[in-house]
Amino acid sequence: MSMEDDVRTRMTHVFQDVFDESTIEIRDDMTAADVESWDSLTHVNLIVALEKSFGIRFTTGEAGSSLENVGQLRILIERKLAAKRK
Amino acid sequence: MTHDGRMNMDSTAFDSLPNLDYQGLIKEARRPRAGSEAPAVRIAFISDAATQHLIPAVRALLDRRGVRLEAYEGAFGAFELETQDPQSGLHRFQPDVVIALHSIQALTASFYERTIGAEQWTARALERITGVWDALHRHGRATVVQSTFAIPFERSFGNLDLKVGESIRWAANELNTRIAQSARSRDSVLLLDVEGIAGWLGARDFFDARAWDLWKIFCSLGALPHVAKNIVDIVLAARGRVVKCVVLDLDNTLWGGVIGDDGMEGIKIGAHGDGEAFYRLQLFMKELTRRGILLAVCSKNTESVAAQPFADHPEMVLRREHISAFVANWNDKAENIRSIREQLNIGYDAMVFVDDNPFERNLVRQLLPEVIVPELPEDPAQYVEYLSGLNLFETSSFSAEDRIRKELYEREAARRQEAAGFDSVEDFLRSLDMRISVGEFDEFHIPRISQLMQRSNQFNLTTRRLTPADCTALRENPNFLTLHAELSDRLGSHGLISVVTVEREGNVLWIRDWLMSCRVLGRGVEQFLMNAVIQHALDAGLDRVVGTYKATPKNAMVENFFAQFGFVKTAQADQELQWTIDPRDYTPITVLITRNSTEEARI
Repeated sequence: MSMEDDVRTRMTHVFQDVFDESTIEIRDDMTAADVESWDSLTHVNLIVALEKSFGIRFTTGEAGSSLENVGQLRILIERKLAAKRK
Repeated sequence: MTHDGRMNMDSTAFDSLPNLDYQGLIKEARRPRAGSEAPAVRIAFISDAATQHLIPAVRALLDRRGVRLEAYEGAFGAFELETQDPQSGLHRFQPDVVIALHSIQALTASFYERTIGAEQWTARALERITGVWDALHRHGRATVVQSTFAIPFERSFGNLDLKVGESIRWAANELNTRIAQSARSRDSVLLLDVEGIAGWLGARDFFDARAWDLWKIFCSLGALPHVAKNIVDIVLAARGRVVKCVVLDLDNTLWGGVIGDDGMEGIKIGAHGDGEAFYRLQLFMKELTRRGILLAVCSKNTESVAAQPFADHPEMVLRREHISAFVANWNDKAENIRSIREQLNIGYDAMVFVDDNPFERNLVRQLLPEVIVPELPEDPAQYVEYLSGLNLFETSSFSAEDRIRKELYEREAARRQEAAGFDSVEDFLRSLDMRISVGEFDEFHIPRISQLMQRSNQFNLTTRRLTPADCTALRENPNFLTLHAELSDRLGSHGLISVVTVEREGNVLWIRDWLMSCRVLGRGVEQFLMNAVIQHALDAGLDRVVGTYKATPKNAMVENFFAQFGFVKTAQADQELQWTIDPRDYTPITVLITRNSTEEARI
């Protein structure tokens, strides 16, 4: 499995868990508007759940910025994972 | 869980702390197990930090203990608006409890912006906080839970911070001290020791600058469940869920080694080396007795062998007189805990069982599920810290009777022994020379009255859990007669043991509250008080006295309380019985209790 697929799969699990919807499948063009329970409260939970799952930490800027879509979030995670491996 | 992954609460001796994972709690909060019939507590949160992440954690932890949360979230930072306006959302919500959560982050910012000296600034900050309490009590009866400030590690003077005083660390420390002092004289104000929690978790794990900057959460999301747990512990303790007794195993729990095999010289106990851990545990247990918690021993041993260290070992801290019930035999421990419970007359859910042996712990968990059975870390050196971390000993008051609780129970045991020597109960009661004082609620007694109302489960007709503020309100209500009774006898005082309130409504006297400590069952106290209540009704020319019994899981013993006095069942609802008597038909009951002569109550 490529790193991209691996990250996508784990992100999907986190999304399903945080938003309490076992059917969510994430897509790169998905935004907060596409997920009913994705609000400012659950956004916090999403951020810390992703950090825990991937063993990374978002900076305040990253965690607070309104990333355009899930694809950008995925790329950010991949970048952090790559930096960690170095 | 944090920035640099240092927090390793998951991998140390604290593995077995009750599950306090933030994500897990959020999930639990979505699927409460307690149904709509479960008892509810109404909690209002007011804070200058965001509380919407805290509330689900509180909800989930209350749910684990069978209580529903009805929450109100005050407007952000609106301490004054929410409390001073009697029409505010908070007051309209009519909370049982108000959590006043002042964040150190807001305090720090305000401190740095000060235009006056630190001392004057601190005095004003305190005034603002106590002003919130006073406003809450002017317009409602909620118990206030005030947070302390987690002390930040921001030092403008380095190690000189505390000495010079012009520093946030000085100001926050000082405020914590003054908040505690101010709360001491107010029965309805309890403390949420956020600084204590932060210190225990470690300030670097407690604080999370990002969580504050982005979301105005005053601590890390990993620490939040610990704050929530403490809130739940406080709320439930104020409603009477308190531990009254610690049941202790001996071998490898209270001392190292096995007394039956290793003998007096072989067991490890003492202020050095590997006896130190057990020495510290004994010191901590002794400290618990000072605040009114009873100790019991439950050991698989020959009694004389188990008792010997308490009598003869020079380095034991605990002596036989610290142990209110001592059971050492070869029966199973569940059976022995049952016998301890009978001796001490307390509920299983008020008992904590401490035993190093997982087999015994599991046995007790299975056979007596209400008993609190904590895991224990493998290393005895961690026993005290572990037990403290569970916060098992939360309480909402400390009365004069807590200080002498052990003596109260000892005297009771002495009475029981004496009773065995008499031919009839009546002879025995007569020999006791019992004296009763009956008075109306007053400032001095209200803390203990409220405490008894929170804690009495068995002999409690309606189980209303009135707070000190509720008691004051009843006292000030002219339709109410509010009584408390103290009993003493030749062997000493029992303290304040019964509370009765009655309300006059037209020609009817309603008995609203009637409860009594089970320590004084069978002495004639309830008969004495019923005589007084009926006499009160006669004096007032009333033609009916009506009593209510509300069933709870614990008060079956008083289901037919009113029948013995000639009351007749007049109404029966789901969990409620109503009993009525015409006071003129009542025959006063002879009791062997004399009334103290210095009484001034209206009855």
